[in-house]
Amino acid sequence: MSKKDIASLVDDRPEDGVFRLHRSVFSDPEIFEMEMKYIFERNWVFLGLDSQVPHPHDYMTTTVGRHPVVVMRDGEGNLNAFINSCPHKGARLCHLAQGNRKIHVCQYHSWSFDSAGRIRGLKFKDDGQYSPAFDNDSHDLAALPRFEVYRGFMFGALSADVLPLSEYLGEARTFIDIAVDTSPQGLELVPGVVGFTFEGNWKLQLENCSDQYHFTSTHPSYLKVLDRRAEKGWEGTVRANVRGRGGRKAMQFPADGLEHIAGGSTSFEHGHNLNWNRRTVNDSHPLFERAEELKERFGEARRDWMFNTRNLTLFPNVQVAENASSQLRIIRPISVDRTEMLTYCIAPVGESAAARAQRIRQYEDFFNPSGLATPDDTINYEDCQDGHLNPVSPWLQGHARGMMLAGPDGDPFIDRLGVKALSSVIGGVELGDETIFHTYYRSWRALLQAGQRADEAAARSQPAPASARLVETVR
Amino acid sequence: MNQALTPAHAAEYLYREAHLLDRQRFDEWVDLYTSDAVYWIPAWKSEHQPTENPETELSLVYCASRNALVDRVWRLSSNLSVASMPLARTAHAVSNVIVEQAGDDTMDLRSSWTSHVYNPKYKSQHVYFGSYEHRLQRVDEGWKIARKKITLMNDFIPTVLDLYMV
Repeated sequence: MSKKDIASLVDDRPEDGVFRLHRSVFSDPEIFEMEMKYIFERNWVFLGLDSQVPHPHDYMTTTVGRHPVVVMRDGEGNLNAFINSCPHKGARLCHLAQGNRKIHVCQYHSWSFDSAGRIRGLKFKDDGQYSPAFDNDSHDLAALPRFEVYRGFMFGALSADVLPLSEYLGEARTFIDIAVDTSPQGLELVPGVVGFTFEGNWKLQLENCSDQYHFTSTHPSYLKVLDRRAEKGWEGTVRANVRGRGGRKAMQFPADGLEHIAGGSTSFEHGHNLNWNRRTVNDSHPLFERAEELKERFGEARRDWMFNTRNLTLFPNVQVAENASSQLRIIRPISVDRTEMLTYCIAPVGESAAARAQRIRQYEDFFNPSGLATPDDTINYEDCQDGHLNPVSPWLQGHARGMMLAGPDGDPFIDRLGVKALSSVIGGVELGDETIFHTYYRSWRALLQAGQRADEAAARSQPAPASARLVETVR
Repeated sequence: MNQALTPAHAAEYLYREAHLLDRQRFDEWVDLYTSDAVYWIPAWKSEHQPTENPETELSLVYCASRNALVDRVWRLSSNLSVASMPLARTAHAVSNVIVEQAGDDTMDLRSSWTSHVYNPKYKSQHVYFGSYEHRLQRVDEGWKIARKKITLMNDFIPTVLDLYMV
């Protein structure tokens, strides 16, 4: 069990204007083990959208922490999540990313299970070889201790001791609502999944999505391509929703005393956050065809928020990035310096063919690891990871910008939604707030410390193993 | 060479395209394409099936004009993209070239390819591989590529995939 002093790695002194992270947070394998155990395996983790398993007997496979999981819809339409491992010898039960099966047969010894996870066939069970004790055991698939769905977003937990999902998501739910409400039928994933890896810690991805400060420095080639397209008026290139330098001036907001505000960042409890940029309601957004309808249904303020760029992180493993296009990202940590990403284009059900095609082109342009922007991010993560091992300058300086602005009040844009934030910052194009990361690391610290305390308490309540007692006696 | 292409000439055309990519002569490479060329790398929607319709399904790359390729090539040498500094070194091998259709003005080809990609910054390497489908088209000055579809078999991407790597 780890005795690592987690608090000593987060230098969190808001009263002194200080927030610093120790580099080992990104590079210490022992901390990574703790993250898997205490965050990913004892807390809510995003699994997928329920629209990925729309029909009876549909299933999809995923992971929670280091463990294979399968989500199944049973014959009555109920969703459940199970450990994707046969209770007999542990073989993986479902092998494909998704599919449809009434009966799942383990390929190793043919134990079979229905789509509700119940054992349906245990080969040669009735020939008298099993003891009554075995008969008394359940042979069903092991259900995840907690599984809940919020507006199509499915979450699971390997521990029963977690908050109700609605409480865990808290005020961040409003931004799931804003994304889902862009269509009366909700959201779907455009067919085609793009997976990639980077040789860096998973929290580099967590931060980058919330990091407005990097945009103009990491992506000048993308912005310049947009300018080139605008200058040349080129046919057959993608019309972007994100604007280059010239385009930004064209964003004319109403003269209401807030016209200088370009965007902001907002933090919520339990590690969730949002960074956003103002956009006018304009036809470079695929949603423009529904602008009036959405205004009628949800009011002008909420409709306008649908057009703002929004990067929502639901701690610890999912991000909904709606900026250049709309992306669902699932973060899967593999080791302290390796991360897998599963990425999808997420879109409102029922949008027109033209809007859908525009969304897909904008997506490929920006978000793909084969696109014009994401590779510049992920290479930066790898370069960061390189430096995170150095012992000479152990404290990072990347979490301080915005300390003079952050507070619980003072964001009229968030107020219009009736959302209560933990902390908010708004400002002009140069804002680049970094206090938005603090909620990640305060939750991170709390979960790791809670895990340590729980393990210590469990160890105290258990008698020490015989060998340890023997050592104690000899001493 | 504004004349009918023999299968051997067509195969050599593909080798020359790969050669231009490996030598990083990107302007010459782009010039192989017609102005309305379609350059397409589908994504995969399941273990067995790549996406089929770029208007309703996701692609890894879908460029609907030579202009879009010019944008991408410009970025590679712009010194503004950290993912392209330094450029990787690549070696393509194109093989198993099959002429699917040969007309007076068009020729459709299928082939297999591998591309060894070496990243000098991290001294790491990777092999991308898959199949090509080319449509060559006769134009005034010779033959150009009107359509190229790249099916990438190993689509779980180690950090970066750019046009010159596949």
